[in-house]
Amino acid sequence: MTSFFRGKISFAFKLVALLLIASVLITLTQSAVAQGEYFIAAFLGITVFLLALTYLTKVSIPLKFFLPGILLLVAFVLSPIIFTVTMSGYNYKTGNIISKDEAILQIQNRAFEPDANGTSFDIKIGRYQAQEALLVSDSVNNAFFISTVRDRIPLNPADLTINEYGVAESAPDFAVLSDSEMANADKLYSGKRFTYQDEYFIALEGFEVGIVSRQVLSFDAEKDQFNNIITGEVYTDNGKGNYAIADNPDQYLEPGWRAPVWFENYTKLFTEERLRGPLISVFIWTVTFASLSVLTTFALGLLLALALNKPIRGRRVYRSILILPYAMPSIMSILIWGGMFNTEFGAINNLLGTDIAWFQNALFAKFAIILVNLWLGFPYFYLVSSGALQAIPSELLEAAAIDGANPRQIFRRITLPLLLQILSPLLIASFAFNFNNFNLIYLLTGGGPRAELDGELAGATDILISFTYKIAFGSSVQDLGLASAISLVIFLLVAGISLYGLRKSKVLESFQ
Amino acid sequence: MITWLRTNAWRHALVISVCLFSLFPLYLVVISSFNSTGSLRLDSFIPREISFANYKMLFNDPAIPYLTWMKNSLVVAGATAILSVTIGSASAFAFSRLAFKGRKTGIQMLLLVQMFPAILAISAVYVIMERVYTFAPSIGLGTQAGLLLIYLGGAMGVNIWLLKGFVDSIPKELDEAAKIDGASAVQTYWLIFMPLAAPVLAVVSLLSFIGTFNEFILARLFLVDMESRTVAVGLQQFIGGQYSENWGPFAAGSIIASVPIVIIFLSLQKYIVNGLTAGSVKG
Repeated sequence: MTSFFRGKISFAFKLVALLLIASVLITLTQSAVAQGEYFIAAFLGITVFLLALTYLTKVSIPLKFFLPGILLLVAFVLSPIIFTVTMSGYNYKTGNIISKDEAILQIQNRAFEPDANGTSFDIKIGRYQAQEALLVSDSVNNAFFISTVRDRIPLNPADLTINEYGVAESAPDFAVLSDSEMANADKLYSGKRFTYQDEYFIALEGFEVGIVSRQVLSFDAEKDQFNNIITGEVYTDNGKGNYAIADNPDQYLEPGWRAPVWFENYTKLFTEERLRGPLISVFIWTVTFASLSVLTTFALGLLLALALNKPIRGRRVYRSILILPYAMPSIMSILIWGGMFNTEFGAINNLLGTDIAWFQNALFAKFAIILVNLWLGFPYFYLVSSGALQAIPSELLEAAAIDGANPRQIFRRITLPLLLQILSPLLIASFAFNFNNFNLIYLLTGGGPRAELDGELAGATDILISFTYKIAFGSSVQDLGLASAISLVIFLLVAGISLYGLRKSKVLESFQ
Repeated sequence: MITWLRTNAWRHALVISVCLFSLFPLYLVVISSFNSTGSLRLDSFIPREISFANYKMLFNDPAIPYLTWMKNSLVVAGATAILSVTIGSASAFAFSRLAFKGRKTGIQMLLLVQMFPAILAISAVYVIMERVYTFAPSIGLGTQAGLLLIYLGGAMGVNIWLLKGFVDSIPKELDEAAKIDGASAVQTYWLIFMPLAAPVLAVVSLLSFIGTFNEFILARLFLVDMESRTVAVGLQQFIGGQYSENWGPFAAGSIIASVPIVIIFLSLQKYIVNGLTAGSVKG
């Protein structure tokens, strides 16, 4: 067995496995390069290099153990964090997703208007000399021509097949698209400008009508601005990812691009009234929710631990029942509680004989959340408190009893302070966990109730993390830049709390 | 008898009422799963009918690929559990036993990175996987393989941290003896450490399995196809959206999905509780 790890066979095995992995990764790298994903390609390339270096040489023995874990962490934890940090410095939201070059291209392509008469033609789409082409029927002038991106070729009506509506169906050298080609035609034809005359061109409106149009905006690359050819308006780069009229900033061109705005997403949190108000109330509720959750779960858990800290009859059965809520997959439990709080069909109203709309009223919704979290969380504190109670030396309690302390005094002066000392890191960890307890809020109330029509951004039970999720993935505007900025603030808060807790638990000292 | 009442009655009273509190939702789900009306109403504490319609629906309705969802959950959670513990234990071993530069910085970095709320990095993960999809559709957005990779990355921090705690508790003398006998670090890992740590690895895999099984948001965002969904995401649509508040099949489905986990949890509670106390809160 020992020789297996030293011998030639093992080396051969290792080599084959490495080669297999490397070949897969190299293939992926190549396709990534082909798609222009250079960051990912570079990561994959470096991965192959590091794998070979680590497992074929003896550069570093610890790295042999670390490498797979590090690679996964970098790819799916560290790089998303760096991406988030970077995005928080950008104006990155719906309408400002693409790069500047792409935005300029799209603005140019979209900025055309029909001619003064609104001239339109019946058309057939197809190919002429292997190029995308239109067979155009100008029924007003009874003229027919083929139009490609480069040329316009006049046709003689005598050569054409013309249907009863005066529309040309086919022409010599013009290949009408087959049905299967039609399926992909949108990508090839729409957005193209087919030649008409002077500055006018034909743009497609569906696959059967062409509209005579002309360009409205022209891009001046030297001055980095768009000029409206017709009205003479000038759109300049407003520094926030849009071309806008200098005197009238609300009038800007779509789409914009993701532009660096540095700390604007952060300053916005404090300066923009529309954002600051909800943020403050959400923050207060987040802290309240997390504190109340810790307090209630710990209190009930401790009470149970005290009650069962004596070998009473049925203790094992009690224990198994009490930890059931903890053993259930929490997703299922939260959804079930959500159903129980349903106004019409839920068991809670049914049991109480009421018809409270639990999730429509802020106070009731908050109460429901705390209650559900109590159900989910008390078994954990029951378990850890039981353990901690047994860890308190019995001599201490006996000594106090001999000195004449009554049970209540013993609990308040000795047991509780000791327990708190033992459990404080877990209490802090629980606070940090609840601070970001996204699943509970999202699945139970969805952050509601929220007066959406009044333009409220946050619901009454939204905590910071669910509010951020709404900003990033909400239905109307998705503002990833702003969400990233809030994410970072939350990270700092939670890291602060947790580091404080860890210092208390002295975990870090073991590395001194 | 009187003293018994004074000393123990309050204990029983308190514990029994909390037991009722903890059992109530579970009891409700069980009777709802046998009730064909599809609501979570409590009409009477004793079920009036016992119907298997909800269970039959899960297994027979072609529009509800319940078995596929179950299989997806088991495959994704199982693969995450096994792979993340295999990869994580190697790192934990190195952190615990090998001396190297930057060991302290490394473990502190690991802690710090772990504190970044995963949900908030979702948008970045989404963009990355969207890009991966453009050149490797089999591991990009919408695939279980892609989701597995993300879970693995996310599980690394917690698992290394948890496992390191366990590795620290294995007596150092054992691998020092192996070292004196001329074993390399890699040999010590495979021949000494792995057999000793096997039960611990099993528990951490189990925790990892339960954690992944419980994951909802990423799975919901990534797995768009009906056929590729996990059981939590699949069942959730019964009560939100197109099936609108159809609790019967949801109750039946979540019972089938939960029972194995609850049984495993209860039978291994001693070990799991130790692991949880050493790490942090259930996530």
